[in-house]
Amino acid sequence: MTSADSHETRQVMIRLEKLTKHYPGQQRNAVDGLDLDINEGEIVVLVGPSGCGKTTTMKMINRIIEPTSGRIILNGEDVTRTDADQLRRRIGYVIQQTGLFPHMTIGENVATVPKLLGWDKSRTDARVDELLNMVNMDPEIFRHRYPKQLSGGQQQRIGVARALGGDPTVLLMDEPFGAIDPITRDRLQNEFLRVQSEVRKTIVFVTHDIDEAIKMGDRIAIFKEGSQLAQYDTPEQILTAPADDFVAEFIGRGASLKRLNLSYVGDIDPRPWPTVSVSTSIAEARETLRNAAESALIVVDEAGRPHSWVSPEELNRAGEGSSLKEIGQTPRAIVEPRATLSDALNELIAARYAVTLVVDDTGKLQGVVDIEQINDSIRSMRASAVTEARASLGGEP
Amino acid sequence: MSFLEFLETRSSDMVELGLEHAAVVGLSVLLATIIGVTLGVATYQRARARGMVLAITGAILTIPSFALFILLLGPLGLGWPPTVVALTLYGLMPVVRNTITGLRGVDPAVLEAAKGMGLNRRQRLLRIELPLAWPVIITGVRVTTLVLLGITAIAAIINGPGYGEFIFTGLARVGTPVAVNLVLAGALGVMILAVLFDILFYTVRKLTTSKGIQ
Repeated sequence: MTSADSHETRQVMIRLEKLTKHYPGQQRNAVDGLDLDINEGEIVVLVGPSGCGKTTTMKMINRIIEPTSGRIILNGEDVTRTDADQLRRRIGYVIQQTGLFPHMTIGENVATVPKLLGWDKSRTDARVDELLNMVNMDPEIFRHRYPKQLSGGQQQRIGVARALGGDPTVLLMDEPFGAIDPITRDRLQNEFLRVQSEVRKTIVFVTHDIDEAIKMGDRIAIFKEGSQLAQYDTPEQILTAPADDFVAEFIGRGASLKRLNLSYVGDIDPRPWPTVSVSTSIAEARETLRNAAESALIVVDEAGRPHSWVSPEELNRAGEGSSLKEIGQTPRAIVEPRATLSDALNELIAARYAVTLVVDDTGKLQGVVDIEQINDSIRSMRASAVTEARASLGGEP
Repeated sequence: MSFLEFLETRSSDMVELGLEHAAVVGLSVLLATIIGVTLGVATYQRARARGMVLAITGAILTIPSFALFILLLGPLGLGWPPTVVALTLYGLMPVVRNTITGLRGVDPAVLEAAKGMGLNRRQRLLRIELPLAWPVIITGVRVTTLVLLGITAIAAIINGPGYGEFIFTGLARVGTPVAVNLVLAGALGVMILAVLFDILFYTVRKLTTSKGIQ
């Protein structure tokens, strides 16, 4: 999918027109005449150095910060001057410090907006359970607990659940995973992407971490100092065709490696590899390996799942009476189609035969991926990005 | 007559004065709480108003109680009315101060989240800020109660209710053996009330504060 396609097919959910924020006593505007369209169902990440106006921009959408001038159009409706409290009930809001109400139970926290909207008790209770399940928190265990009884990661899950309470069309997230340890953050990001694939909200996500932006964003808006929009595009485009030196520098080194986070093992065809079943005799296995172009065999079990690697030495050492089940080494580098190429690369670097086994959801072997294939994939990504960038120079294709 | 014998012969007086003492303090604390919390809520967000209210209620507390009771004698006469008015004025400062401290101590992130959820000003105050500030406010009310229990004893000079009657009668008979017993009994009565009120506040605080912030 290219950015041009999605612009045409998707509806604009949030439109910012000449949005400006001026704080009294400051020379420069915190946000200065910003125009930005945010498509329905997309995650748009606002990213940039501190003081670039990304947070101010986000907080003007639900008018936690009132704009000095300009307009905010939400789903076609000008909400710049409407009742702010009513507006906020339609927009979910997640902040870094979570801001859970400490005197209320988890259930009461999540029920905040449904109660404000006047939902009856049974509908509210059902919604709370649904949302707690959605963020992987068992309602039976957590409904009656208080925020202080939860870990930081759990609190942020509840923060997300609470923001989704009134089933808003738009979600604003201000560095939601910024205060969480890296391992938990990674898990929460993945979980959140899974939730988003179910709920398909329009999301404005603020972060200062470009890696998080690349991982989370359908589209990334890179802000420069002084609220200038340096580039607004898909992560692929930003990584392959940065608009200027500022963007290139902001992405930092290793842009190619970062790109590997955007492609999945499922996108490339795994290469076949000589394979034998565990029930094969040692002699037959030797024969297969002799005729194969590779230096080892993959042994698969009855269900086609990888069981072991066997090398020629191991086959030679094995006595005639022994079985393939008993010799060889357990494969470690195994990935699923949903893994990123970055994961695959990580696995294969340490692997014995410099390949990663690809298995499907049931664990059945699909083939292998090697470094050549990953390299090809990077090259074709770059080529298509360059073509696209050239096409955009020539106006509408 | 020993002190214990004295208490025995005057036990019905002890109980009667105790009830009066508790009632006038209870009423004044209630009024001071209502007025004090209102003043705190009205001013906590504005630095100047806040400073002014704290200065005024603090200044009231420095007026010698003896003087204030006598000043109120003219407009309000004797007995309960001037006593309740004076006690209420004295009781404001701890309540106002703790209300302001409690409300200003609410985590800004919690307030921002509440605002972002669409709670209006009134809902934020009633559902979020006051419940979170409550443990601090009730501590102020408790301090007020202890202060007023002591000051009430002075109210006897304008015929106010409570144990002050024992103490001032004792003062009038200084030198006689009963004087010491009277003053001791008055002081003991106030101390017992202080302990009882403390237990009451501990229980109320425990019962009215969310488990999430205890």
